[in-house]
Amino acid sequence: MTSSVGTEGQMGSQPLGQQAESLAEKMGEVRREISKLIVGQTEVVDGVLIALLAGGHVLLEGAPGLGKTMLVRTLAQAVAQKYSRIQFTPDLMPADVIGTSVVQENGDGRKSLGFQPGPIFTNLLLADEINRATPKTQSALLEAMQEKQVTVAHTSHLLEEPFFVMATQNPLEMEGTYPLPEAQLDRFLFKLRVPYPGREDLHDILDRTTQGSAATVRPVVNGPQILEMRRIVRTVPVAPHVQEYVVKLTLATHPESRENLLASKYIRYGSSPRGAQTLILGGKVRALLDGRYNVSLEDIRALLLSSLRHRIILNFEAQADGRTADDLLEEIAGKISPN
Amino acid sequence: MAEPLWGRLSLRSFGKTNFTVPDEGSGRAPFLALRVFSRRLLSLVPVQSRNEQGPVVPDVDAQEYSPELRGLIGTLKAIRHRILANTLLLGWTKWSVWVLIGLIALALAESRLGGGLLFVAILALLGAAAILVWTWQNRPSAYDAARQLDSAADLKDRTSTAIYLGVVKDHDGMIEEQRRDALSRVAKVDARGLFPLRWPGNLRGALVLVLLAAGLFAYRVHHKAPLVSLLQTTARSRLVQSILAPIVHEVEKDLQRTMALVTMKPDAIGDETRRGDSVAGDEDLWKGSDDKAAEAKDNQQDAAEAGDLPQDQLQAPGDQDTPPSGDANQEESNSQSQEGKNSDNSNGKSQQSEQQGAENRQSLGQSLMQALKNMMSNSPNQQTNNRANQQPPNGQGTPQSGNSHQPGTTESDKRGESRGNSDAKQKATQTASEGAGSQQGNKELRKDQDAHPVNAVPDRVALEASGFKEQTRMNVATETGTAQLASRDQSLQGDAVVNGAEQENIPARYRLYVQRYFEHADNGTH
Repeated sequence: MTSSVGTEGQMGSQPLGQQAESLAEKMGEVRREISKLIVGQTEVVDGVLIALLAGGHVLLEGAPGLGKTMLVRTLAQAVAQKYSRIQFTPDLMPADVIGTSVVQENGDGRKSLGFQPGPIFTNLLLADEINRATPKTQSALLEAMQEKQVTVAHTSHLLEEPFFVMATQNPLEMEGTYPLPEAQLDRFLFKLRVPYPGREDLHDILDRTTQGSAATVRPVVNGPQILEMRRIVRTVPVAPHVQEYVVKLTLATHPESRENLLASKYIRYGSSPRGAQTLILGGKVRALLDGRYNVSLEDIRALLLSSLRHRIILNFEAQADGRTADDLLEEIAGKISPN
Repeated sequence: MAEPLWGRLSLRSFGKTNFTVPDEGSGRAPFLALRVFSRRLLSLVPVQSRNEQGPVVPDVDAQEYSPELRGLIGTLKAIRHRILANTLLLGWTKWSVWVLIGLIALALAESRLGGGLLFVAILALLGAAAILVWTWQNRPSAYDAARQLDSAADLKDRTSTAIYLGVVKDHDGMIEEQRRDALSRVAKVDARGLFPLRWPGNLRGALVLVLLAAGLFAYRVHHKAPLVSLLQTTARSRLVQSILAPIVHEVEKDLQRTMALVTMKPDAIGDETRRGDSVAGDEDLWKGSDDKAAEAKDNQQDAAEAGDLPQDQLQAPGDQDTPPSGDANQEESNSQSQEGKNSDNSNGKSQQSEQQGAENRQSLGQSLMQALKNMMSNSPNQQTNNRANQQPPNGQGTPQSGNSHQPGTTESDKRGESRGNSDAKQKATQTASEGAGSQQGNKELRKDQDAHPVNAVPDRVALEASGFKEQTRMNVATETGTAQLASRDQSLQGDAVVNGAEQENIPARYRLYVQRYFEHADNGTH
């Protein structure tokens, strides 16, 4: 299985153009491997791969039983990375996530405090049902997600790259959940909604899971290759009008925006600059996966909802009017001309 | 990607505007300075602020682009020309539509076309030049053309990114790949075919307007302006005349009233203006007596024949020196008036006032006669109405009407009282509807007055105003005896106000009051 995974310096020795082409090919293979187990959900799979190459984290939201955990596990197998899963529950403590100092006895019988790493020390972390844990435990992920390190007893411990968190959560209206704080939400590159499968997809799911043995996933890329891909992604150029479009979109979500009355009416807090960064970075990855070497307006539009829907906080009026972040963002994008 | 692209692609900067004259010695210096200024001004117009208008990529000279992009630049140049031509055609066509509409309106309405045509021609040329300048100033850059090509050919911003990166010299592999990708994609697209020279959408409308305008001007060679002819024909029609005639009449009346107000005394203008419609009613009242003279005369004769009116009312005011027979109180009143005149003579003003009085009597005599006629013409209707509301005679009502509007002087008091008594006697002989002024009777009379305006004011005014003609005197006791001295505080108000004085002698601010008084009095008497 590992024979298909390229060596560490293989991509770096090629010209950049060829590396970009190789990246697109590799990601195509990863997609195919994932599709062996995950039926449909192409947008979710693409979103997860884009986030992986952009160096961000993903929050998956959907009802139980839609294959969220299966997707993460399959991806971990396809990219040949260490994988951990934490089931978040109300009694989960931060030490259960990041680790703790414990008394250890060395060979000559001396005892000392030593750091016992938690399950967060991995490459792909599945934080399952993250909104069932208390905010205190949820916040334990903050430093890890942004700084790629954890601090225990005044000692910082670096996490191994690539570090990729995929959190799943049930819809907030379900009982026994704690909404994620805004600061933590902003750490996620994308918030992907996992939809219910369609009729054909459901037939396919039943065929695959109730007959014979499950398919196996082979690893396609490794950690160093993912890091190399992340470097290539950042070299993709962006035309000024595309960047201007991103800026306009981001500013239009601010309630202080004079140009957009919609935001001032329904939005309490607009998108942070991380939202604009997400749009550009995600656009770059999407362009490469699409076989292009430049970001287009289409990339930005395609990533708008998943990039910004969790970064804007609606006010009471929006909730009273039944407005959602998605339809507000679509309306805002419809009003903003890229020219 | 060693350096930020924005840093290398510097925008055109606003340089200091230097207005130095190139050749100060020659006479062309001002023109040269103007040309330099206009060039700099025009060069500044396309520069936009990034903060407000978004990113602007300058129109870089084709020589600065990468050699690989020359073909793409050539394609974009052709596209730019076509976009420019289409924009210009559209602008000119829109402008020509407005010019043609103006020309058609001119041909329809203007009787002399020469000046108008010249004006429209100048306007059309100026507008066309302005559109040309505006279009040139806003012509698309190569980057703009590339964006339009991307949009038209679904190239996903490949060419615009390539053009944006086209001037980057030290490009890395990714830019080169991007450029190659863009060129390969553009090669598969018929770029020029996507931007054809298009006739403007409103060209048909403009052509229709051209034909219409040409037809109108051909018609105008031998005919008048159609709209003017149509208006004249319409104005002559009976229907329009019947509609317009009352309006014209009202306008003329308003004009006359306005002229009358303008010619009035300055102190009276304010009062008249304040009163508004009531002033107009006043004048109508006086004019109405003239208009209805003939009718009133007939009515007077009828009334005299029927014996409804007393003889003293049929008598002309100018004959009041001769008291009517059987009216002792009236004689008293006249004798007192004579006494008053004698006292005027003692003041040295009697001659002048008598002369004025004589003149006034002549003119007032005519107007009072007319007023009497008018009053008599109204009386039959009023009497008919009053018969339904007959009440027993009330002796108390008559003196009230005499005393209630007395001037403040002692002499006037006497006269007013005597006049009241005389009125009482006269009215007692007329009808039984007069008296204390029952409300019911007054209401009916008001209705009647609405149909027949009161025209009896002049004679009443004369009677009322006669009380003002003398000075107030005071009895002063001295050692030698008692003397009557004129009071200096009292001004003479009645120099020209003798029996039968004109309405002009009543201060304007009191006219309405006086008129209302006599309306009230008429309600009681008839």
